[in-house]
Amino acid sequence: MNARLHSSGGNPSEERLLAYAAGSLSPPEAVVVAAHLALRPANDAWVRQLQTVGGEFLDEAAPAPMADDALMRAMARIETDAGEVKSQPPLNDMPELPEPLRRYALGPWRWIGPGMRVRDVHAPRDGDCRVILLEIGPGRETPRHTHGGVELTCVLSGAYATETERFDVGDLEEADPEVLHQPRVVSDDPCLCVVALDGQIELDGWLGRLMQPFVRL
Amino acid sequence: MSLDVVQPDPFAHDRLIEAVALHRDREAFAELFSYFAPRLKAWLIKSGATPGAAEDFAQDAMLTVWRKADLFDARKARAATWIFTIARNRRLDMLRRDARPLPVPEIELAEQTVERPDEIVALSQDAARVRDALSQLKPDQVEVLRLAFFMDSPHSEIARQLDLPLGTVKSRIRNAMIKLRLILEPSEEAAR
Repeated sequence: MNARLHSSGGNPSEERLLAYAAGSLSPPEAVVVAAHLALRPANDAWVRQLQTVGGEFLDEAAPAPMADDALMRAMARIETDAGEVKSQPPLNDMPELPEPLRRYALGPWRWIGPGMRVRDVHAPRDGDCRVILLEIGPGRETPRHTHGGVELTCVLSGAYATETERFDVGDLEEADPEVLHQPRVVSDDPCLCVVALDGQIELDGWLGRLMQPFVRL
Repeated sequence: MSLDVVQPDPFAHDRLIEAVALHRDREAFAELFSYFAPRLKAWLIKSGATPGAAEDFAQDAMLTVWRKADLFDARKARAATWIFTIARNRRLDMLRRDARPLPVPEIELAEQTVERPDEIVALSQDAARVRDALSQLKPDQVEVLRLAFFMDSPHSEIARQLDLPLGTVKSRIRNAMIKLRLILEPSEEAAR
């Protein structure tokens, strides 16, 4: 597969932004895109334009008649409504994270290889798809791996490069399951990413096969 | 122009939400409900929900409108966009098939970013600009965009519904998005 097809300059595809604006993106992916938008005001503004498009579509939608007692029910509900049970979850222990990630609880850091650690973001899962924070030390490569499923990565600090592209803070990478992937950290500081991961990462090569039994990503 | 002709007020719904926010105005809420609930229901039915589930969704979304009316800011978004965003967040919640018992923050774009003053002016004109932009797209482009907004599994479902090859649907959506971007932000394309 031609890697250039996936070259996006660190931006999500239009389809993904559209799905995000419409609310049809899977929750783990939506978390990663939200982090990206917090770091990319131009794309954030574009998503809001798209939501205006959604508002227009809603406005001009052919109405589906509600039940006869719908309005009565609604008025009864607001009379007895005690307001929202709004217990904001506490901020987590990583103030360096963009705002959309601050209120998710985080699991403990786990060592997964030399210069590599990972912690779970307790955002909603979607089947096997979940959100993790991945930190890789300067100059480190992850073992070559193919992907079990769609993977979205947003760089939160530092930078990494794949065989074809470089990703800096705020950049979003949409990985393709067919592309063999070996990112290498190119920043002087560790590279921290938020990742929506679907299925297990299948590690490739002798080191990967050696590590696979020990690495639960 | 005759004064007898009642012009539809493009900001009428905005004022109704403000009335709910300021005075807990029940008549205003009833009017909003009558207009938006059937549209929200139609959206959910299109996305594949049963009429019963769509009815409940519309009820719940409108209750959120009642609760959150004081967060509405007409300078940021028109009523339809705001209600769309509320419903969109609720829909995202519904898609959380494996939500943990933790309370999770809502992803609410409208409240997150601090606008520059020039942006606020731009946003208040958004709805008109967007409507104008949509009128410049080809009808089949508007159709795929609308379906992409209102259906859960965009591409394959749209392809089935329109009886078109998947590739055609994908390129049509992409072309529609590119054109929309060119019209709506001609000078920002390079900055993206």
